[in-house]
Amino acid sequence: MTVLAVDALEMRFAQRLIQTDVSFRVDRGTIFAIMGGSGCGKSTLLRAVVGLLRPARGRVSYDGVDYWAAAPAVQGELRAGIGMLFQSAALWSSMTLLENICLPLEQLTRLDPGQRLARAREVLDWVELSDFAEFRPADLSGGMKKRAGLARAIATRPALLFLDEPSAGLDPISSKRLDDLILEIRRTTNCAIVFVSHELPSLFAIADDGIFLDAESKAPIGHGSPRALLERSTHPIVHAFLTRTEVPPPSAARAGAVPSAPVMQPDSAAP
Amino acid sequence: MVLDNLHSTRPVIFLGQVLITTIDAIAGRARFRLQDLGRVLADCSARAVGIVTVVNVLVGAILAFVGSVQLVKFGAGIYVADLVGIAVAREMAAIITAVVMAGRTGAAFAAELATMQSNEEIDALEVLGLDPMAFLVLPRVLALLLMMPLLFVYACVTGLLGGMVVAAGMLSIAPAAYLDRTVIALDWSHLGLGFSKSFVFGVLIALVGCYCGLYAERNAAGVGVATTNSVVASIVGIIVLDAVFAVCANALGV
Repeated sequence: MTVLAVDALEMRFAQRLIQTDVSFRVDRGTIFAIMGGSGCGKSTLLRAVVGLLRPARGRVSYDGVDYWAAAPAVQGELRAGIGMLFQSAALWSSMTLLENICLPLEQLTRLDPGQRLARAREVLDWVELSDFAEFRPADLSGGMKKRAGLARAIATRPALLFLDEPSAGLDPISSKRLDDLILEIRRTTNCAIVFVSHELPSLFAIADDGIFLDAESKAPIGHGSPRALLERSTHPIVHAFLTRTEVPPPSAARAGAVPSAPVMQPDSAAP
Repeated sequence: MVLDNLHSTRPVIFLGQVLITTIDAIAGRARFRLQDLGRVLADCSARAVGIVTVVNVLVGAILAFVGSVQLVKFGAGIYVADLVGIAVAREMAAIITAVVMAGRTGAAFAAELATMQSNEEIDALEVLGLDPMAFLVLPRVLALLLMMPLLFVYACVTGLLGGMVVAAGMLSIAPAAYLDRTVIALDWSHLGLGFSKSFVFGVLIALVGCYCGLYAERNAAGVGVATTNSVVASIVGIIVLDAVFAVCANALGV
């Protein structure tokens, strides 16, 4: 079942074109990756999809309802069905972790205070932060903040979870731990997960499907899982990105040349 | 905040959103955390008392100094109580308290919201379906709307005390005589004018602080710019609104 459909989306920022003709579908239980180099518009696409940036053109539909054409009240209801982990975790700094998780539960669910507290402790336990419930975000490490942000995002049991560069800035062990947690969330809740990343180990480890954005052409240049893209795509930029090799010069790129000496094999990144 | 890059119409959109959210809150459709309101209330009341006391005592004393030097020349020293009483109640208590609150609380609102903006905390509220207007702006507007009139009353008392101390020290006017003269000079229209100004100034400071914070650029410099803009715009707004009050009061014979 398709929970998110993006059709011919075009994003502009102060009239400057960021990406155009972006289309993809995300089914329930799928982990979908938005890939691409730095500055290609991955996070901007995510912001347009979650309702933080109005696209210049195109449709974003949740369960068949066009988000940007919907009335504000309907938009509010649609947003209540999603969870999001921001790149900076974006925990509310004036609140403890427990309060950070209880606030969405208080506003978006009909749980009584006891149930809210139990749910918040349950998700904190899930991300192994039970002992830090009364801590404020400033007292946590980067990895802990990411896990706390993830706990807040999943507390309302959303059908669709968005993760903006979840493993960016984390050491390999914390990154692997977060990837495992994401897989565990998918296994347990069967929610759809859309994540933005340019971390190859994470991409190969958890993504089932994806889209590859290009900064130069300002349009997607590949669709499919990272593994499928690596095997099928003949686009030199996609190949260079997924194998951590240098992008061939423009003349070679026009001729469709693909680098032949990958530095990193996908199997070495898979769990 | 989704505003489609319409920067020039932002203030109007912001005001409209605040109005709609206020109506929603009155109708019970918009909610905010009472803990947040309590925290802001404490910050712009009890924690502001010290600086409001110092500034208003000194303003009352300065008015009394200036007035007494001139009035004693005509043997009308006792009328320094009239001067201080009317000036403090009509103008100075409201304006000085508002300027202090703009530099203190308005700037704090702007800095806090700008930091939240750069940390994506406001985006997090929006994505989770929580209205930043209801959660962040309403408690702050409500807090200053409630506390500014109380601070005005307190500022009047401290301003009059400052004037009384100088009158007693320089002109040897007995405190009882000073107070008696103040009560004769002041009427409800003076106090009412200052009181109504304090409501308007409170709302202005809160709205400007929140606006500058919410639409700050997402970087460290943005926080500084938001804070500066908030203080400057609030103080200019206070002076402009005070001029409007003066014209209206004159036209109405208040």
